[in-house]
Amino acid sequence: MTNMDKKFEFTPRLRYLTYALMLIGIIAVVVGFAADPERGWANLLLNNFYFLSLAIGASFFLALQYITQSGWSSAFKRIPEAMSAYIPVAAIIMIILIFGMGTLYSWVNPEQHHFDEHELHILHHKSPYLNESFFIIRLVLYFAVWIFMTQMLRKFSLKEDMEGGLVYFEKSEFYSKVYIFTLALTFSLASFDWLMTLEPTWYSTIYSLKNFVAAFYHGSAIIVLIVLIMHTYGYFQFINNAHWQDFSKYVFILSIIWAYFWFSQYLLIWYANIPEETTYYVRRLEGAWEVNFYLNLALNWIVPFMVLLPNYFARKKSILAFVIVMLIIGQYTDLFEQIMPGTVGDFKIGFVEIGTFIGFAGLFIYMFMRTLSRASLIPEKHPLLEESLHHTGH
Amino acid sequence: MNNTAIYGVFDNESSLLGAIRAIRDKGINITDVVSPYPIEEVFHVLNLKTRIPALAFMYGVFGMLATFGFLYWTSVVNYPLVFGGKPQNTLSFVIVVFVMVINITIASTLVTFFLTEKKGPGAVPKYDYEGMTDDKYFIIIEKNAELDEAAVNKLLKEGGAIEISEK
Repeated sequence: MTNMDKKFEFTPRLRYLTYALMLIGIIAVVVGFAADPERGWANLLLNNFYFLSLAIGASFFLALQYITQSGWSSAFKRIPEAMSAYIPVAAIIMIILIFGMGTLYSWVNPEQHHFDEHELHILHHKSPYLNESFFIIRLVLYFAVWIFMTQMLRKFSLKEDMEGGLVYFEKSEFYSKVYIFTLALTFSLASFDWLMTLEPTWYSTIYSLKNFVAAFYHGSAIIVLIVLIMHTYGYFQFINNAHWQDFSKYVFILSIIWAYFWFSQYLLIWYANIPEETTYYVRRLEGAWEVNFYLNLALNWIVPFMVLLPNYFARKKSILAFVIVMLIIGQYTDLFEQIMPGTVGDFKIGFVEIGTFIGFAGLFIYMFMRTLSRASLIPEKHPLLEESLHHTGH
Repeated sequence: MNNTAIYGVFDNESSLLGAIRAIRDKGINITDVVSPYPIEEVFHVLNLKTRIPALAFMYGVFGMLATFGFLYWTSVVNYPLVFGGKPQNTLSFVIVVFVMVINITIASTLVTFFLTEKKGPGAVPKYDYEGMTDDKYFIIIEKNAELDEAAVNKLLKEGGAIEISEK
């Protein structure tokens, strides 16, 4: 191990860079709210959910590595740990978003929206679950679970670095098992609550699974991208072809799973042809939304699947990086399609959208780098570390 | 009957790989390696080549075209049926094509593998040794006039073989 593998340094230059990104974000948010509060709130929700899903996906990745006792990835586990540091920030922004509930969610005050009698009846029927106070209670509960579990995993990991031994590995494995079950339930309900109820009369039961897979997919892709970038700058020099192969396998297989869930939702609604359900897609296949609809499918499935299929491409770092950049845009188009038609309505993309995204990216990178610099970059006393350093494929 | 091959038995993956490398570096030709599960490293160390993945891809493309052709011919051309007012050449083909691609690819690849390796039901194994289908790892080296048997035995022993014998 070289000296560079010991610690990542959060230099002032990087710090100012993230501040600059955040400044652009603040300006964009202010401009957005000044122009149209609904657009401002919707952008805040979209970008917060975007980066929350990356953090959740990364923490799920970490939990899976513990449960399967995977050795090959153990040297990189600080990266998903640092990515999940965004979750508390997401909690704060979600709490701020409570003030925008009346603007974003039409079920809060249905009388002020154009609901017909039947739709009002549906909303009345849903009101025991879909009311403001229960919404806030659930929101707090979800974040309490996520923050507690990710912080515990982080704590064990840091203690393991000090003391070594198998105790903390076993504890982490147990907590990971608890975490994936609680996460499955809480994240599913969270995506129902925050995204699906934007159009409160429409529902799809596979919706939450699709979002869960998207989070895992894009979270894993970002882990790979970070490893790629850090490798270019001289970190993780022990990486060989077998590591790249396994990383691209992750991205490749998750692209198939993502497409599977996307298609399952679309095909069932298309086939059943029930007006209540099809309105969702009819709206998303009109005008400029249609471009976004196909772009989503192309970026999240066709590009990764086709490009990573040949073995030769899967090990090329530049190609892997290209695919992941496509996926970063892909997750945005996916959430854009889910959130914007039900809130803003028209297809609007400009400085407000891009600037807010840049700002949130700055915030995410800041939290990530700050957390990453606080511990040894490679978990030196992880019991499976040697396997990761000399990984040779399966 | 004369003994025709040397069998080196190992009980773990890493000593097997070490022994393979040592034998290969001496320029001795390894006839076959048997392990309870596929080890990709063996493939790289012995510098083997295979066309099976490319072939499997072609089977997949063939399976897709054949299944789509069949569905198109039966439900659009030959006997057009209308289900629930849907267009005939439709998305409902996707799942059938998807499943049939997997089915055709796996079945044809398996048959190809059996044919090229001369394995399958009724085939007589060329190399047979007690425990070969259990949890042990094997290096098989066929004997010929040039083979330095003493060197092979020494390398196998140094590599950590738990058992070396001829059969």
